[in-house]
Amino acid sequence: MLFNSLHFLIFFPIVTLLYYLLKQKYRWILLFIASTYFYSAFFLPYILILYFIIIIDYVCGILIENSKNKTKLFWLLYSIISNIGLLFYFKYYNFFIDVFVEYLPNVKHLDIILPIGLSFHTFQSLSYTIEVYKGKQKAEKHIGYFANYVLFFPQMVAGPIERYDCLGKELRSKHVFNFKNISNGLRLILYGLFVKMCIADNLAPLVNEFYSNPTQYYSSSAWIALIAFSIQIYADFYGYSTIAVGAARLLGINLMDNFNQPYFATSFYQFWQRWHISLTTWFRNYVFFPMGGSYVNAFRWIINVLLVFALSGFWHGANYTFIIWGFLHGLFYLIEKGFSNFIPVFIAKNKIFLTFGAIATFTLVTFIWVFFRAENFDKALLVIKQCYTYTFEAKKDLLINIQTITMLAVFIVFEIVIYKSRFDLFFQNQKTVIRWFVYIILAFCLLLFSGIQSYQFIYFQF
Amino acid sequence: MKKLFYKLCAALLIGAFIIFVSNIIYTKYFFKNDLVLLDAKMLMQLDSLQYNSDVLYFAESSNGTTANSDTCLLSISQMIDTLSPLKINAVEHGAIHAKTYLNLIKHINSNALVKTLVVTLNARSFGSPWINSKLETNLSQANVMYESMPAIFKRIKLTFNAFDNKSVQMRDYINEQNWSKSKINVPEEFPYKNVRQWDNAMAYGTYLLPNGDWDVPKISLACHYIKTYAFTIDTLNNPRIKDFDEIVTVAKQKNLKLIFHLLAENVQYADSLVGKELHHIMQENKQLLMDRYSRKGAIVVNSFELVNGKDFIDQNWTTEHYNQNGRWILAKNVFRYIK
Repeated sequence: MLFNSLHFLIFFPIVTLLYYLLKQKYRWILLFIASTYFYSAFFLPYILILYFIIIIDYVCGILIENSKNKTKLFWLLYSIISNIGLLFYFKYYNFFIDVFVEYLPNVKHLDIILPIGLSFHTFQSLSYTIEVYKGKQKAEKHIGYFANYVLFFPQMVAGPIERYDCLGKELRSKHVFNFKNISNGLRLILYGLFVKMCIADNLAPLVNEFYSNPTQYYSSSAWIALIAFSIQIYADFYGYSTIAVGAARLLGINLMDNFNQPYFATSFYQFWQRWHISLTTWFRNYVFFPMGGSYVNAFRWIINVLLVFALSGFWHGANYTFIIWGFLHGLFYLIEKGFSNFIPVFIAKNKIFLTFGAIATFTLVTFIWVFFRAENFDKALLVIKQCYTYTFEAKKDLLINIQTITMLAVFIVFEIVIYKSRFDLFFQNQKTVIRWFVYIILAFCLLLFSGIQSYQFIYFQF
Repeated sequence: MKKLFYKLCAALLIGAFIIFVSNIIYTKYFFKNDLVLLDAKMLMQLDSLQYNSDVLYFAESSNGTTANSDTCLLSISQMIDTLSPLKINAVEHGAIHAKTYLNLIKHINSNALVKTLVVTLNARSFGSPWINSKLETNLSQANVMYESMPAIFKRIKLTFNAFDNKSVQMRDYINEQNWSKSKINVPEEFPYKNVRQWDNAMAYGTYLLPNGDWDVPKISLACHYIKTYAFTIDTLNNPRIKDFDEIVTVAKQKNLKLIFHLLAENVQYADSLVGKELHHIMQENKQLLMDRYSRKGAIVVNSFELVNGKDFIDQNWTTEHYNQNGRWILAKNVFRYIK
């Protein structure tokens, strides 16, 4: 089920109402049924995959807690191999068949549909068994609560990738009907829908048009398309995450923020502290730190950083382009780290320098997105080449309509206004007139200026 | 609690007001643009034609597609128009099906001039590949624009995904499932249980070139015929049956004479390429459609086997595109029922 669907707009109020009518001890049943229904609306048979993950990690969690030394490690590895194996089968199998086609001539491609959000489920569930192994988390004995941790419908298909110590606790806590939660949740849902439907969905056709045949366009159009995709992917994922946080809030449950205005970041380091925060921290805690983190020699550290970034790229999709995307982020991160050692503090904190940093970071990030968006490496190179091809030949211009420009302007104004805050938190303290003025503006935007063709959330495919 | 109730009422009132105002703005300034954007211009076509036509001919690309070699470029409806004293116009668009016709027919007003409807009855459109075609998402979007409701609600339905919005991957998957599950209904014993088996058997070297190599183009075409036509219409669940049934009902309500034009299929090629079993299945479907809609009171013009194989424009694919000979044959056949 999509957040931006009438189906959800009917489903969610019913669930919320039932949730507050039920006693706390029965709510997990409601959430379990609702989450199962939510996921099944995409493709019914794949709910079994999630049930499989739940059972494996639930059992492994208990066994890890009750074991010692090698047995403990065995059950952790069992959980890791089961989760990653599942991910490999559905997401990476065909990719590896292509890579090793010379050595595996008779192995055929699998003709399967990738379960929506599989990378999110497996990573979220894995974080639990790893934490239990580390002794930082007690194994959950109630399978219902654990199931809801993996399945919780507001965040199940595209994150944020929550840790059990946060979401598990939230799911167990007693939530009473609270008007503030309801209004803040609704505010976030409204703003999330605006960002997804009025920004991302208006930019999507423009970007798709360019990427379908980049050589048809002038270089100026290529740059417009690059910037458009940069904003589209942010709006798409940020919009989704905002709705997810808002929906959970309505149920009294707090989810972590996955974004913190990443395009205002003044460096790559900052960018990764603000973009897809739950994934960044996952890789940091469960891949980078176990590899030695920063407590290794310089050469090893460089390799570790590049490897973690490349892996995070590969997490997104089974394609070389994603690996390159991650690798380039790692590379620029390292270059930036190298230079930062030579810049005096008073310059580094200077506003002009910070502004330059923000522009440079945005430009480079936008440029690197080409590898994320292009279907293959050749297409990515073609797009980059097109940015620098100046010609007198008659080509096409990528035209942005006035409606999209207006929506972008509204979005930028909102993002500046709520800078260093969050939409719900900022507006809860405003006067009623201002609040309702904003709601009405957003409602009109949604009704009249949202993209008439709706596009699936980009991160659902991961 | 009372305060909350008042707040809720106020919010609902404001919401209703926003929708009301939005509808006025949208209808006046944006609706037509969206019709163009979603390739749903047939509504504008219909609005202008229903007041100056005696007969409306609802069709997909079968009506107007011409061959390069044609000297006469008239569409089937234009040919009928030249034969008839009545004014005949076409409401047409490529790749559409009965759902679109139905939504459009609902828009015919009681004071319109039109008294007769000719609707193409395309047997191929009842099969899984068409029902689950990758064009279906776009068609469903256009169909929302053709529905009879305030314009802003159409927009809300579209932007909030309240239409058949399956991914291409999902549609391919459904087709694959249908081909694997569907039974082959032929009178004699047949070695293949379903379309998938039949298609696989055909794919592995049925047709060979004189040098022993596989005749790939011929095999591809034969496989395509099997996947396209080897189905038995399920009158309870087939969405096209529901659409055509409703067209009959709506036409009766609007007191319009209804003619279904059962389009010609390349039965000769189906027979010679694949065999008598496919021919039999196609005949069964044809008969079912003719019987069903004659019984329901529509006139069914049978053109199913009227066009010779060589008069089909696309010789290496399954379409209902005819050259001028084919179009004239069909036009004359329909004309007999219009007069």
